[in-house]
Amino acid sequence: MTAVDRRAFLARTAAVAAAAATGAATLPAVAAWAGGPARFGPGAYVRPRREALADPTELTLAEAAWMIREGKLSPAELVEAYLARIGTFEPVYQAFNTVLADAARAAAKAAGRKRHTGPLHGIPLAIKDNYWTKGVRTTANSYLFQDFVPPSDATAVARLKANGAIVLGKTQMGPLATTRATTPGGRITTVNAWTPTIPGTDPGGSSTGTATSVAGRMATAGTGTQTGGSITAPANAQNLTGLKPTMGRVSLAGIIPLSYTRDHPGPLARDARDAAIMLTAMAGADPADPRTQGLPRVPDLVEAATPVYSRGKVRARWSTRVGVLPGYATGTSAAALAQQAFLATVDAVEGVRLVDVPLPDEWDLLTGTAFNNVRLPERSEPFMPYLRTDLRGFGVSVTGWLQGALLGANEFITGQRAKLLLLERVLDQIFDHCDVVVQTGPVPFDILGLPEIGFPIGFTSAGVPIGTILGGEPYGEDRLLSVVAAYQAVTDWHWRRPVNPPAAGPAALRSATGDRGRLSAEDVVAQME
Amino acid sequence: MAPTPPTDAELDIMIRARLATLGIDLDQLPPGTAADPATGSPGRDSVLASLRSFVRGSVTALAAYRLPAPAGSDPAHAAALSQQPAPMLYPSISTEWRK
Repeated sequence: MTAVDRRAFLARTAAVAAAAATGAATLPAVAAWAGGPARFGPGAYVRPRREALADPTELTLAEAAWMIREGKLSPAELVEAYLARIGTFEPVYQAFNTVLADAARAAAKAAGRKRHTGPLHGIPLAIKDNYWTKGVRTTANSYLFQDFVPPSDATAVARLKANGAIVLGKTQMGPLATTRATTPGGRITTVNAWTPTIPGTDPGGSSTGTATSVAGRMATAGTGTQTGGSITAPANAQNLTGLKPTMGRVSLAGIIPLSYTRDHPGPLARDARDAAIMLTAMAGADPADPRTQGLPRVPDLVEAATPVYSRGKVRARWSTRVGVLPGYATGTSAAALAQQAFLATVDAVEGVRLVDVPLPDEWDLLTGTAFNNVRLPERSEPFMPYLRTDLRGFGVSVTGWLQGALLGANEFITGQRAKLLLLERVLDQIFDHCDVVVQTGPVPFDILGLPEIGFPIGFTSAGVPIGTILGGEPYGEDRLLSVVAAYQAVTDWHWRRPVNPPAAGPAALRSATGDRGRLSAEDVVAQME
Repeated sequence: MAPTPPTDAELDIMIRARLATLGIDLDQLPPGTAADPATGSPGRDSVLASLRSFVRGSVTALAAYRLPAPAGSDPAHAAALSQQPAPMLYPSISTEWRK
């Protein structure tokens, strides 16, 4: 325990003792995080591409940071550009629960007067609506939280703001983070920015609104949470780079819980470098979250996400073995062909080597439905007051919470014992042979709390993005970023943007915003994160 | 001898009793199988069917699992040896204090 953490612990212990002595019923609130900005190297600022100069919403975070630092773009201009797109296209995308236009304008104006704080200075972000935002309604798209106005910011939000970021709005999500974004009653809201007139196209969940807002150029970057693929899935679905860090890398303080051992806050961004900037700001120890304590220091993620060149050719920053699991890239589907091309491309980067790795013993069993379901009591237990009084308040999501209440403590302990066994096997049977590994789905590494990065590798013939996921060793986010940065330096998938939705005349708007379908409780159980 | 698997009716009683023990009344949900049109909440019969499936699937599978004994162990000692692996809520974090 560090000195500061020990002090916080002792202060809280003393307060609890005092409360007990006086008969007080409540604990003191954990103080909101109050640190300063993170340190960034020069790699966090990138001179913009020529084609991005005409429209500030086209700029990556690093490009916008360069423009603002050089005085060529003001935070106010950047915010107004995004608000203009939100005004035009949000009725179709439906990515936001709340747009904080006035507050964002005020923050941008203030940022224009303040000393430069770093690459996030004046950058407008989309925040998933399960992150507490002080004084701003935080609903998790649930009836249960429809009137919840948090008393403080989530630590991750506080860190982003301390780095100069502007909260542009709160984004739509799967109800209580279970599926793609819908109303609490299951009516589909947010669409995939690549197919805005086809609501049936999966936009990825549950961080759907953040993904659509970034892909649709209504925010520079944003935050998501992942319990069962909720960052990597929408990143893959919408041509973004999403980074789910190792458990504990980012504080969960002030985020509405879904599953304590599985919830991972992280960024959704336009490329690896932007994801690195976001994670650098979000990451670090937090006295309010013991899971963040005693971990390795956050490395220079932006440097890791900066491509390295040797004689004009991209090479790996670190010599890296990419593990390939059985079944990955097999077949002739569009996804399989894209995966094959991805492997060939990354294999051609100097310093990268593909190695076949096995599925660890009992992989299908220990990562399958039953062992995945040991997470469910973690969602029922903190929601017991709601389960007793307001079952209908869970809307279409209720079944998972009732399942959690049914799972016995014996089975829960078996699941926790199996998690360590699974980790040992992943470390021994996979990571003894490679440094990063392709994933055939996000759940196994979500169970273990290991880092994953989702990024684009192609498109279907219908123009829908195809992505893939790489997984890493504990606290190996830098290695993951380095591989994706090298891949993105030799490909252009991540530069592609969806065309704007059809001109939103009254008739077109009605058709685009009408009934988009509805998920049932059974659908939610089948798709549950 | 393995016990006879419970019937649907027995499971329904168990599920309702377990939830009631926790203070959860399933009758908060709409009767039958139709969802509440306003909230999308499933009918209680639909939920009971789903919960029966959950008990027969996940609960049973987890309960049946035994952690393996080290390779080469005497089978006569397998049950005792399989007690040794400890539970770990946060396996990735635990790698830091096991270095």
